Amino acid sequence: MPETILDIKSLRKIYKDGTPALNGISLTINKGEIVAVIGPSGAGKSTFLRSLNRLVEPTSGEIWFRGQNMLKLKKKELRWARREIGMIFQHFHLIKRVSVVQNVLHGKLGYMSAIKGGLGWYSQSDTKEAIAILERVGLEQELMKRADELSGGQQQRVGLARALAQRPSLLLADEPIASLDPSSSERVMEYLSTFSREEGMTTIVNLHQFDMAAAYADRIIAINNGEVVFDGAPDKLQKQEVKQIYV
Amino acid sequence: MPIHPIYSAATSPSDNAMLFNKYKKAKKAVLWNRALLGVFLFFILLWAWIGTSFQIAELFTGFANIVAFLVNDFLPPDPGAVASMAGPILDTLFMSYAGVALSVGISFFLGVLAAKNLSFHPLCAFLSRSFIAFIRSVPAIVWGILLVAAIGLGPMAGTIALGLSGVGILGKAYADLLEEIDESQLEAVRAAGASWFQVFGQAVWPQFKSGFVTWSLYKMDLNIREAAMLGVVGAGGIGYALESSISLFQYKEAASGIVMIFFLIVIVEFATAKLRERII
Amino acid sequence: MNLDEWKKQKRRTTFFLFITLFLFLVISLAQLGVAPGKLLDSGERIQSMLNSMVPPDVHEPSGVLEAAIESLQIAIMGTFWGVILSLILAVFGAKNLAPHWTISYIVKGFAVLVRAVPALIWALLFIAAVGLGAVPGILALAVNSTGMLIKVYAEAIEEVEKGYIEAITATGASKFQLVMQGILPLITPIFITWSIFRFDINIRYASVLGVVGAGGIGWELVRASQTMAYNEMLGITIVIFAIVLFAEWVTRFLQKWIEKSNVRAFQSNSN
Repeated sequence: MPETILDIKSLRKIYKDGTPALNGISLTINKGEIVAVIGPSGAGKSTFLRSLNRLVEPTSGEIWFRGQNMLKLKKKELRWARREIGMIFQHFHLIKRVSVVQNVLHGKLGYMSAIKGGLGWYSQSDTKEAIAILERVGLEQELMKRADELSGGQQQRVGLARALAQRPSLLLADEPIASLDPSSSERVMEYLSTFSREEGMTTIVNLHQFDMAAAYADRIIAINNGEVVFDGAPDKLQKQEVKQIYV
Repeated sequence: MPIHPIYSAATSPSDNAMLFNKYKKAKKAVLWNRALLGVFLFFILLWAWIGTSFQIAELFTGFANIVAFLVNDFLPPDPGAVASMAGPILDTLFMSYAGVALSVGISFFLGVLAAKNLSFHPLCAFLSRSFIAFIRSVPAIVWGILLVAAIGLGPMAGTIALGLSGVGILGKAYADLLEEIDESQLEAVRAAGASWFQVFGQAVWPQFKSGFVTWSLYKMDLNIREAAMLGVVGAGGIGYALESSISLFQYKEAASGIVMIFFLIVIVEFATAKLRERII
Repeated sequence: MNLDEWKKQKRRTTFFLFITLFLFLVISLAQLGVAPGKLLDSGERIQSMLNSMVPPDVHEPSGVLEAAIESLQIAIMGTFWGVILSLILAVFGAKNLAPHWTISYIVKGFAVLVRAVPALIWALLFIAAVGLGAVPGILALAVNSTGMLIKVYAEAIEEVEKGYIEAITATGASKFQLVMQGILPLITPIFITWSIFRFDINIRYASVLGVVGAGGIGWELVRASQTMAYNEMLGITIVIFAIVLFAEWVTRFLQKWIEKSNVRAFQSNSN
């Protein structure tokens, strides 16, 4: 029996202007799984992912992560939970004009005191760790560069390194390859899946491209109109159904 | 959770130590430079602080005084003064407009001369640029004082001062805009055997137009504020009226003048924005 | 309406627009009493003034130098306090950081009002409120600067994309850490550019504030014009010109230094 890491119960989100984004999603996700969330744009994929670490406040439901309900957490507890959930973004959102190493060190902020973190006094061991992670994503030559001087693919790898610096047990990736060229996309996906398997890290990745999802994920969840319309292994999903999902 | 090599600095100890030291050294250099800059700025500030014998307490008393002054002596504005301020405020508008017309004319001429790609001779371009830079570096008020001395008190000195100060801004803007023009189009028209004026009309003007209009109208906006200041040195308009009200302690009168300047600025900015939309 | 008609109409409106603009110019000139004749009349006066201007002269070099230095110092202090005040107020003026949106509107409205009053008028007001000297000059420049700086700083903060805030928040960082490590580095370049630009403007104002008695070299110029010492007027104008050039040189130097003290220095060191 695999260990459950995330248990989501009838998750709903209705935006202030009345638009419904999630209409009662219930799922369990096991430790170490690589889950691809697919669906047309505007289906609620992004809202779903952001609900998990409460960048978006869900309207109702439960999210059980490591034995606690995320939606009931107070400010400080939420910050503690967040540092175990890494996240990477479509447009990377690295802090411009700041060095690559320092961007990775931002992953450590949640573990530091407010003052030390605010002033950027990172410890020697944290810095060494950040450099080691950058080596693993093949960026040891770019340590001292400004983040905005790197190519898109490299920036996404820095984004991944920032998330890994949090030592997360859950990694959320919101369209990580949507603004990358094909070869960088493959490289980023390769890193994502390798790290997930080697670290036993659970990964939930929003993807627009079905073929990428099929190639790298253990499990595919299709969302449309804020509801789960398919949940299963990639090979169970027929071409016919894929078309329907995107309609 | 097992700690995998990814998190361990011990994966390749020698390599990592080397990278770490390299990073540390570079970071130190940056911090050192920043500290030096900070110290430099600090001493400049200290020099200015001591030189002006500024007291931090004056910041509080100063702001407390001005608030008390504005509330007690200024408010409410005297509505009776609106009539007597109407003439000067219109003068300010006329000065600004005539001033901008003057500077557009002169700047256009100098700008074409100063643009390297259109000028008749590189030396000509250099001289024109230098002249523009000189005018730019002398504040409008100084032109105002000089002109009041030369042609006497009144709005005419102010108008010419505005015209001159505009040359500093518009002359440079036009020359820069003209130099950024796409050469290939120029070449094409020139190759067809067009005269200088034809080249200007066919190839330059279409590219220059929107920048020309934007900058000229921007200068019109600026002029209202500058014209209001020029009056203080006797160059006519609302500034002159304000200065005399304040020196006669007629603060409520001055307050209505300031309110009128505010409305004039808003109206002119609105009008230039509309005009810009219309022309471009 | 076909294309030809449309073009014709457009040409017609443009024509009317230019006629209006031209007529307004004629009216302006008439109202101002600017006539070519009048300008020619003063030709002789200008001639003799230009003659007596050369060679430029400065009667009391030490006094003028002192006044010039005071202008520079007033500009530095005015910019410093303007920047400090604007920074504090801009945090409340930016919609994405303000405790409540009404506060943001109040702060921005204040900036609009301050901007509407020209610097020299602020100097007159401060002199009326706190007396003559360098202090009213500094305060006038500081207040006048806030009108512009609050607006641009607040806009810089508002332009920080939501994504950056999300990215740092997702690491478990606190709000203070978010501002210090995420937002501050993003707005620093804009902040520096505008502050330096404002210093450039302030140096021009500082050199004329003395006209109304708020310290600095402006007063020397007025004094010379009152005694009709035209050669001295030219001399002082040249000194003002030199101050402005000097300040521009210093700011350019500073800009380069700041650029160098940025991460860019990393590369030159690491290679």
